[in-house]
Amino acid sequence: MRNWRSNRGLFLGICLLVCLALITASQLGLLSPVTGILSIPLNFITGIFNRTTLETVDAIEMPSDVPTLQRRVADLEEALARYQSELVELREVANDYQRLSELVNYTSQTQDQEYVAADVISNSDSNAPLQTISLNRGTRDGIEIGMPVITQLGLVGRISDVTANASRVLLITDVSSAISARLQTTRDEGSIVGQATNDLLMEFIPLNASVQEGDIVISSGLGGNLPAGLVIGQVTNVQQREFELFQNATIRSLNNFATLETVLVITSFQPVDLSVFQSTPVAAGSGS
Amino acid sequence: MGSFLSLPILMLAAAIQVTVMPQISIFGGRPDIVLLIVSAWSLNTSLEQGVLWAFVGGICKDLLSAAPIGTSIVGMVLIIFAIHAIRQQLFSVGFFTLVWVSVLGTIIQQFTILIILLSTGFQPQYVDQLGYGVVLDQIRLFIVPSIVYNLIGIMPVYWFVRAIQRALGTDLRLTR
Repeated sequence: MRNWRSNRGLFLGICLLVCLALITASQLGLLSPVTGILSIPLNFITGIFNRTTLETVDAIEMPSDVPTLQRRVADLEEALARYQSELVELREVANDYQRLSELVNYTSQTQDQEYVAADVISNSDSNAPLQTISLNRGTRDGIEIGMPVITQLGLVGRISDVTANASRVLLITDVSSAISARLQTTRDEGSIVGQATNDLLMEFIPLNASVQEGDIVISSGLGGNLPAGLVIGQVTNVQQREFELFQNATIRSLNNFATLETVLVITSFQPVDLSVFQSTPVAAGSGS
Repeated sequence: MGSFLSLPILMLAAAIQVTVMPQISIFGGRPDIVLLIVSAWSLNTSLEQGVLWAFVGGICKDLLSAAPIGTSIVGMVLIIFAIHAIRQQLFSVGFFTLVWVSVLGTIIQQFTILIILLSTGFQPQYVDQLGYGVVLDQIRLFIVPSIVYNLIGIMPVYWFVRAIQRALGTDLRLTR
């Protein structure tokens, strides 16, 4: 029995020595040729198992991933909707910034006038008899009837009605609107009236006036309703007939009245009522 | 016959160990199939054949790892000798025998591998990563999960090994 136990211990010692020798030889690189040969069949088998395992795992995991993918898609759709909403808001902010910066640029160019910026709260209905827009500023903000309304692109109209906190603007495209204007280059004068087609027509241009397409038309200030020098639009067409005493021109405003959002009201301008001068001769005549 | 059979069985086991087992690894642990097969085989075979299986299995494992050849053999040889030392006291191999074989085998195997790797200059990447020290890291990260997996795996492995041994007529209890 003791002999057996000692043999077993010897056997264990030999085994451990062999292991130690293997480890040392492996560390020294002495087993490299042997391990290279032994690894060939083992690597071959491992390669087969690896491919099979990966294909099996893919086949198993693919269907089980569907709920995960569906949840992922739902999360991404939710995030996309949230970001789209934020994008719309940011675009609105960018548009506001662009509009306001253009307005500020305009006001800086005309320092002698005082303005009140106003948001358009209702646009003109093209089917309505009067072409008007409504603003969110009223008498509390210093708005009065007759004040000119402009944008950086030119004249919009005049205040036709006002309440404490809102006002209505009669657009220059309204058929009842008539504005004294002049051609910026030739200084020839005329009168701009609105058309049912939402266009502008410049009437009473002298026959000898040289009117060219593209000429800029500005307000003349005659009549006292508007300050002089406000841009109204550009000439797009000239009608000159020999049997008429004047020539007409179609004017296109640079403003798109259907999409106005922010405007400026010139509060420093006070319209002049010239009707008193028209009634004076009658009163004088009746008096004499 | 059992000695010759060790090579294909343990080569397949080593290949499965490095290909299939990582796919079913949970919490960093996985069953050590080679260790389980060698331990299960040695429970019902001679010491010499058990040692042979330990050498073949250890070499197959080390050929597929970065460890020096012989690293895995030491632990398995110690386990084989421990099994044969205790087996003399056992009337038959039962559930509790398989439990202590898998638990003791896992502990011996993992610690011998760690000691050999550290003594040969290998610096395992998990060393002291949790700040508990090398030994506690080894227990926390590898030994405890491996014990659980080996406890689960020892039953089917033992059933498989016994079936082969009976088929080959190499069962020690049948032959002695």
